[in-house]
Amino acid sequence: MKLLTHNLLSSHVRGVGPRGFPLRLQATEVRINPVEFNPDFVARMIPKVEWAALLEAADTVPKEPIEGYEHDEKFLRKMHHVLLEVDVLEGTLQCPESGRLFPISRGIPNMLLSDEETET
Amino acid sequence: MAAVPTDSGSRPAAGARFFCTAGRGLEPFLMREVRARLAATQVEYISGKVFFTTCSDLNMLKKLKSAERLFLLIKKQFPLNVSSVSKGKILSEIQRLINDDPESWLNAISTWKNLLELDAKKDKLFQRAANPPKRKVEENDIINAKKLKTKQLQVLQESGECSLEKQTEEETQEQGDFLTEREKSQEAFQNDVVKAADAKNQKNLTFRVSCRCSGAIAKTFTAQVHLPPKEVGRITGIALMKQFGWKADLRNPNLEIFIHLNDIYSVVGIPVFRIPLASRAYIKTAGLRSTIAWALASLAEIQAGAFVLDPMCGLGTILLEAAKEWPDVYYVGADVSDSQLLGAYDNLKAAGLKNKIELLQVSVIDLPLPSESVDVIISDIPFGKKFKLGEDIKSILQEMERVLHVGGAIVLLLSEEHHRRLKDGDQSSIPLSSEGSHTGEPSIKKCLKPGGKTGTSETVSSSFEASSQECLDKTPPFGSLVPVECHKVSLGRTDAFICKYRKLHSLGL
Repeated sequence: MKLLTHNLLSSHVRGVGPRGFPLRLQATEVRINPVEFNPDFVARMIPKVEWAALLEAADTVPKEPIEGYEHDEKFLRKMHHVLLEVDVLEGTLQCPESGRLFPISRGIPNMLLSDEETET
Repeated sequence: MAAVPTDSGSRPAAGARFFCTAGRGLEPFLMREVRARLAATQVEYISGKVFFTTCSDLNMLKKLKSAERLFLLIKKQFPLNVSSVSKGKILSEIQRLINDDPESWLNAISTWKNLLELDAKKDKLFQRAANPPKRKVEENDIINAKKLKTKQLQVLQESGECSLEKQTEEETQEQGDFLTEREKSQEAFQNDVVKAADAKNQKNLTFRVSCRCSGAIAKTFTAQVHLPPKEVGRITGIALMKQFGWKADLRNPNLEIFIHLNDIYSVVGIPVFRIPLASRAYIKTAGLRSTIAWALASLAEIQAGAFVLDPMCGLGTILLEAAKEWPDVYYVGADVSDSQLLGAYDNLKAAGLKNKIELLQVSVIDLPLPSESVDVIISDIPFGKKFKLGEDIKSILQEMERVLHVGGAIVLLLSEEHHRRLKDGDQSSIPLSSEGSHTGEPSIKKCLKPGGKTGTSETVSSSFEASSQECLDKTPPFGSLVPVECHKVSLGRTDAFICKYRKLHSLGL
């Protein structure tokens, strides 16, 4: 699971709503995957990123996107690494509101809720 | 994609004429594709085949995604006259296919050889560029290698011959999925080119005929004159041997000849590739048919930097096809099933696309995504009774609608049953999108009947084409999702609908 994906996921435990974002990430196994750098692609992802959530998940992230980031290769490469090359293979995602834990296994987060949990 | 050094002036001068078979309902997609990808002209769709002219080489032709198989056209003419149900007369009709116009046969075979030789040249240059021989690379070596390349080319051009070295396994380096893909199809190409080389003197050509008959003609052949397709093939074979001096080889021929006789035309062609185009080298385990998966993705308006979701991805076929065609996109596949996700993971790995496509284990009716966070949704909604209670097509569409951006597109493959369920949905007051349903295809070309009946033309359309508009008319809006296009397609034993929606406005407004 890439950090870009973590940035999108929100807990859907009943009654939690927007307070289910962001999920707290606990990684036990992480791998760095070299991914071909595409500055244009990274630049397009930046506006979609929830920055606070990204800061929580990763330590080496600039505080916020700098102005003119589209042309700042150093910045884009840093973001490329954080968003696309860090791969969480094993760990958990925790709903900040309910505490519910979702496991990550082989890089795939399992966010299925049980039948009881999906009942309103 | 690595740049392949090409020598200009080696492309076929005028275009060559081809035809493709396509699954029923996919013909409009194929017509659009050959125009866009191959700059094809004279594009016609007649009764299950798309005919077109293009200057493209094998590399580009190989990229066709919505076709089943590709053939070089030898001839297309009016259907065989079987009105006189006389075996003798019919046999002479078949022989006329070959004897009336031997020029067109020889021209087609010459074109075929040129295509294969041109491809072999490029292959060879690519090989040298990608797999340099193992030795210390110094300045001089590089210069010498370049000289060698040019010399090789000259030799190729002068002698008109084309002999491929056997690719040694030791020289193979891991250079990403592109090369792997090429290697897989390398064998097929090598075989084809070696055969073309053998056939430099056309008298040495070995061939095999495969024949297909359909329609009323087929019934006449089998029931009334006892002429099964194999027999037709055999007769054609004998005529070819007499006319050109070729030898038949049923096991491993240089040249394959394909004949299709039906009530609309008689078509003869040379299959261009050994393996059908629909069979993808990069897909390990196919779920949905690759041609349909690509067609779904082609409607979805995937742009660079988009977030594309398949919330019922199964083995990931749709995402694989999309990622191959539109690579600079963020793809996420989701499924509830452990086994499907494992299969998808395997597929992604085999295709070298693990870095392009993320996987989640989630339920489509309960997506852990914020509202309006997804740009495009493409999905093959599973058919049959696999759903749990309460998980019907409407709840699925509702959740998809929620996570989709305003203006975003949803492209779905729906079974007839699902489509019917949606038809019965409550009619919203939102009018049908003015974008209309047509994919902008020209009217079906006319086909002349024998006997010189000029002036009377027959428009040939499949029942599928006609029903696409009908199908769109019957698809009501779903909440803020407005139907844009609807195409009926064949999945073999069953039919299905490709339905595209667009989200017009936010929910709750």
